[in-house]
Amino acid sequence: MSMSEGIDAPYWSGLATGRLLLPRCVGCSRWLWPAVSRCGQCGSGDIAWTERAMMGTVFSWTRTWHRFALTEGLELPFISAVLTVDDCGIRLLGRMDDPERIDPVIGEPVHGRVGMTEVAGRSIPTIIWSRG
Amino acid sequence: MHPLYGTTAVAGIDLRQYRRGASPLPEQGVLVEAILAACADACFDPAEVDGFVSYGDDKNEPVRLMSALGTRELRWSTTIWGGGGGGIAGAFGLAAAAIISGQASAVIVFRALVEGSSGRLSAAVMAHHLNDHMLAAGVVAPAQVCAMRANRLYQHHKVPEGVAAELVRASYYHGARNPDAIAYGKPFDPDQIAASRWIAEPFHLFDCSRENDGAGAFLLVSAERARDLAQPPVYLLGCANGAEKGWGDLLENDDAALYPTAGFRPIARRLFAETGLTPADIDVVQLYENFSAQGVASLIDHGFCNYENVAEVIRFDNLIAPSGRLPVNTGGGNFAQGFIHGIGTAYEAVKQLRGQSANPVPGARLCLLAGGPGAPTVSSAIFGNIVP
Repeated sequence: MSMSEGIDAPYWSGLATGRLLLPRCVGCSRWLWPAVSRCGQCGSGDIAWTERAMMGTVFSWTRTWHRFALTEGLELPFISAVLTVDDCGIRLLGRMDDPERIDPVIGEPVHGRVGMTEVAGRSIPTIIWSRG
Repeated sequence: MHPLYGTTAVAGIDLRQYRRGASPLPEQGVLVEAILAACADACFDPAEVDGFVSYGDDKNEPVRLMSALGTRELRWSTTIWGGGGGGIAGAFGLAAAAIISGQASAVIVFRALVEGSSGRLSAAVMAHHLNDHMLAAGVVAPAQVCAMRANRLYQHHKVPEGVAAELVRASYYHGARNPDAIAYGKPFDPDQIAASRWIAEPFHLFDCSRENDGAGAFLLVSAERARDLAQPPVYLLGCANGAEKGWGDLLENDDAALYPTAGFRPIARRLFAETGLTPADIDVVQLYENFSAQGVASLIDHGFCNYENVAEVIRFDNLIAPSGRLPVNTGGGNFAQGFIHGIGTAYEAVKQLRGQSANPVPGARLCLLAGGPGAPTVSSAIFGNIVP
């Protein structure tokens, strides 16, 4: 399934225009992630893709040193992180800047910008997060 | 009493293990040999096997084994969903379900893995889960997902990172004393862990299990029938498999309290409730450790310790046979016995309860088998050489 056809297509098309769009249940206002076709809490199928700022906090992280297949487009070591997006609580997977090789601290604030990750000849948009 | 309690038993076992890439036979050939040997172990005619169960996306569809085994009729051919090792214990529950419901009478639980036939296990497990969200973040391997959960366990929930090394050391201690283990005869210095290269922080190489070629097979029959076969029966006393709300394949959006766990809280609750047993009743644990921190989290989930007292319980001296109070991975575990998607942990569970372990636990009656931790669906089982 391509990015433009999957249930999370609005997320990817949002990133392509520099915006973070996330799905929210119209019925009960819950944020739903991973994207789903129906809210399992209230049963509503009415999902609104809603913009949030690329602001959040570090939930957890790892710094990868081993050259796993499919990471050839990234310079080692690199930080992958789980970030909690402000004002919605959804957690996103992303990459973090690591210029000084200072370990991220769980709970510290971060802000994001849209970047690209090259994977097996494909460019996938992703949010790259920085401290402060 | 729960219908699974003591109604079926493992009657025959076999495990053959080789260095990764060094199997003398293709995957199906190794598997057939293991199944035949497990039947021979029980003095059971392999043609009478009428059911098969596997897990973890095993590629050997049972119908294709019939010719080589001489199978007369296939009646039960199933697998536990999921790409990881979470289903290993659940596979025994599924085999028992077939037997106690009369849908099959002699079921083989198996897992086979030969790199030349099926490629790298880590890549296969990840292929089951990979999506663009993960790829874009550079998260492409089980080690990285487990590393993020480990950092949360250590940094947010304050579990001391040193306990992971105690667990690794215990596995290597047992493996060094098990002639069937990859670590047999190799002295292990715990300083080797931190000295080994980084994989994904907080994991060094020695925090990770490494793949082997091979196959394991277990013959499960009714408890009554097992008592007439060649080996002392090892009874299945209980088994639970699944996931609770807030846990699963959720792009790291698991419930915050569950995120650093290994996913076993509902499994342990059900397993102990349905057997009427408690963690204190368990004499020995065979613990699937894909990564050190997930082994720690699994022991916590099963109620052997908690975030506060974990360092008192997960101590090397406490984890080794014959003297420790919580002997874990007496064959060496995935780290040091060998890793064929965890099937070796089930093998050691049966060996230990038959009194055939290289590291016997004196008087052991009950053994917990904890499946692959951190997988979206996980499972555990309790085996006994008695039905208490």
